[in-house]
Amino acid sequence: MPIKSINGCIGCEECIKSCPTDVLRLNPDSKKAEILYPEDCQICHLCRMYCPVDAIVITPDKSIPVIVSWG
Amino acid sequence: MKTQNYIIKLSVLIFSFLIVPLLLYFTGNFQRRSTLMETLSITTILGFSLLLSQFFTSRLNIGLVKKIRMVNVLAIHRFIGYFFIAVILLHPFFIIVPKFFDNGVSPSDAFVKLITTFSTTGIILGIIGYTLMLLLMVTAYFRFKMHLNYKTWRRLHGYSALLFVIAATWHVIDMGRHSNTLFSTYYVLMVVIGVFYLLKTYVTNTGKHENKT
Amino acid sequence: MKTKHRKISRRKFITLTGGAAGFAAMGGFAMQVDWALNNPEINAETLENNRITTDVLVVGSGMAGLFAAVKAHDAGAQVLMVSKGRLGSSGQTPFAKGIFAYDKDNEALSIDEFVAKVSRSALGTNNKAYTRQLAEHSLARVNELREWGFFESSLYNKSFSKPIEERNIPVHERVTITHLVKEDDRIIGVAGFSIDEQKVLFYEAKSVILCTGAGGFKPNGFPICDLTHDGTVMAYNIGAKVTGKEWNDGHPAKSENPAACYDGWGDMFEQKPSTTRIEIRHDLGVDMNYMAYINGGAAQMGPPGRGNQSNGVSGGPYRPEEFTSQGGPGGHSQDGEEIQGPPPGDSDRKRPLRKEGKVAPPGMGGSVVGGSTAGMSIHKAEGLVPINDKCESTIPGLYAAGDALGSYMAGGIYTQIGSSLSGSAVQGAIAGETAANYSKTVKSKNISTKKLKSIEEDILAPLKREAGYSPAWVTQTLQSIMIPNFVLYIKKENLMKAALAYVEELRDHHVPHLRASNLHELRLAHETKNMVISAEMKLRASLMRTESRCSHFRLDYPEVDNENWQAWINIFKGEDGSMTLEKQPFNTWASTTKSSEIEANS
Repeated sequence: MPIKSINGCIGCEECIKSCPTDVLRLNPDSKKAEILYPEDCQICHLCRMYCPVDAIVITPDKSIPVIVSWG
Repeated sequence: MKTQNYIIKLSVLIFSFLIVPLLLYFTGNFQRRSTLMETLSITTILGFSLLLSQFFTSRLNIGLVKKIRMVNVLAIHRFIGYFFIAVILLHPFFIIVPKFFDNGVSPSDAFVKLITTFSTTGIILGIIGYTLMLLLMVTAYFRFKMHLNYKTWRRLHGYSALLFVIAATWHVIDMGRHSNTLFSTYYVLMVVIGVFYLLKTYVTNTGKHENKT
Repeated sequence: MKTKHRKISRRKFITLTGGAAGFAAMGGFAMQVDWALNNPEINAETLENNRITTDVLVVGSGMAGLFAAVKAHDAGAQVLMVSKGRLGSSGQTPFAKGIFAYDKDNEALSIDEFVAKVSRSALGTNNKAYTRQLAEHSLARVNELREWGFFESSLYNKSFSKPIEERNIPVHERVTITHLVKEDDRIIGVAGFSIDEQKVLFYEAKSVILCTGAGGFKPNGFPICDLTHDGTVMAYNIGAKVTGKEWNDGHPAKSENPAACYDGWGDMFEQKPSTTRIEIRHDLGVDMNYMAYINGGAAQMGPPGRGNQSNGVSGGPYRPEEFTSQGGPGGHSQDGEEIQGPPPGDSDRKRPLRKEGKVAPPGMGGSVVGGSTAGMSIHKAEGLVPINDKCESTIPGLYAAGDALGSYMAGGIYTQIGSSLSGSAVQGAIAGETAANYSKTVKSKNISTKKLKSIEEDILAPLKREAGYSPAWVTQTLQSIMIPNFVLYIKKENLMKAALAYVEELRDHHVPHLRASNLHELRLAHETKNMVISAEMKLRASLMRTESRCSHFRLDYPEVDNENWQAWINIFKGEDGSMTLEKQPFNTWASTTKSSEIEANS
């Protein structure tokens, strides 16, 4: 997974708002951010950088094989 | 014989409130961060587990009091109290420490965001817990200046500790970066035992030791 | 202004999906189409619609959108900004760290000399008026940014919010705009939907500024997966001319974890922005694709950015002699420039690794693969065709700025380092002021109920389909048609025709069947639709341009053809609705009349 986990979320929604590709949403029950559409993560780390409490873990791999020009 | 016994008693305390959380920490599948942040995390976790140990380094632990005398128990209680409450008082600031090392959100903005996100139960409980903890610390420090009789003060201390522990534990389980199932179970277990002793002592209080200090 | 999230209750969700699952099971007996069934989480019939009115509507909240909104407001118009993402945190703006500022006191080149040098590197493809404008206005914009605190943080939301909040300009974030509305030959508004609230939104505006950025095919390795040419395609759909589709941004990525754009750029995304001075280059990018093509993949490529000679590869894209000493994209990377390729395999230029005592991110280093920006043209080269140097499009009331405007500020090649970000600022400001003045001359017009209805139908169609193709699948199929090296980069007529046949198939038989089960997927469905149109544009323009120039390279026409191709290619919807292309000579302004009309008149 590109965006892997959120630990210690305070529910401020900064990551949700700053994700360009709408990967994160607020869980209506826990009121915390959850990774809802990880397949659309572009691994740009904006969510992690905007997070005030350093809660987001991102790995460089993608959950689906990626298409490149040559390989 | 007597020496051995209190060593065992103290060892049990050390094991329960130092070794166990450390074991849970190092065996848990947590994202490891920088050495500084790992140190701060461990300090905070131990700070909290040792605050939970306060139930057992007090008069409630009749067994221990009998073995090493109340003054010594109180010394331990007081040391852990002041020292680790200070750690826990600082922990909201530990959380934003990484913001000092990057060019993104400023530490002050991060901190304001942290303490003003009132949409989550965890933050509200945290703020309540923090206030109660301050109250506990201040009333403990100034207990002789408050001109309360000892029994009243002790009840105030005990019950506000009870409220604090419930709010804080709930906050920790809800928000904690390292609150996995094992950690949560451990906290709940310790709190339940502690609260049980507290209520047992207070509710069925025979007043045996009340006039000693 | 605060957005609310996910109104659907858990129970409702379970009921809906449970019902749909039952239906899916039933359908499965007959023809095994359960993979295609749409299991809507929301009821498209109950979506509300809202109408919002303003003078100037700014679509997009990157660098161009910021200045468009601020300057339109300062010119006395009522302004509203609407963005698919968040102010300063969507599109390419958050990742651009170098901003060009021309300071006449500190530069050896005069503005005339600067324009001449850019034109030389761009082989005539640049629009001199916009190149000059960049130099003239960049310092003023940079100074304003400095005042707002732009240079104090690696994250731009706070500094961008400052002037917007000071002026009380409303910002609607997380709203996907899908349609431009034109009546009586001028723009009267836009339509779209919120991804958080179940709402279709209609914005009625006297003028609209598209600051929607460029786009790609959601390629892996470059942070442009939210950019899908939305502005260009929406404008094309209402009859605007667009340009620049044959040019290619040719950034590579690392072969391991190529999608990890953050890791590919070292710690650049974490840097505070800084200014750049005159440094004119001829960054091809496509030369690396050519090398890989000739040598058989990355294995024998040798260090990229070292020119062709050292790799024993002859031929390939032409580079003007005075620019040969420079490397390929990224090869030269110094700190502080804007989006340029990661320095692949070039150890002495490697950026420092991330701090906090972390070791190198796993898998970085090693060889290089291409196509990390696939589908994106050169900054400022693709987009709406301007009819003057005021960012005005061929449709009255419709303006564009930044990467959404085909201003050819830099030409069909990347020339001045840091110019993309400052160019967006400069053009945004000009578009904002012009649009504000225009809005004073026209009356606002309501979108007719009939139009409202048909647009709403169109927006919600993917939600209402009982079965269809998932946007993710169509996107992946499009990627596998367009991204391979031998289609978009090393171009040949027969392969582009083959790819075009595939793209037409997607356009005619897949796009009409795109499904969406929630608002996230609805956004993906509309993005996919736009990417397919852009793919068609890219192929048709590349087929038409029978020469090689700058970042456009044809294996079957490898030479620069100055006799026939001192011209840009404009694309527009012909009278029968089909995609039509025309030539527009360099250094001329586009006319608002279509070539068919010109022919008819002559």
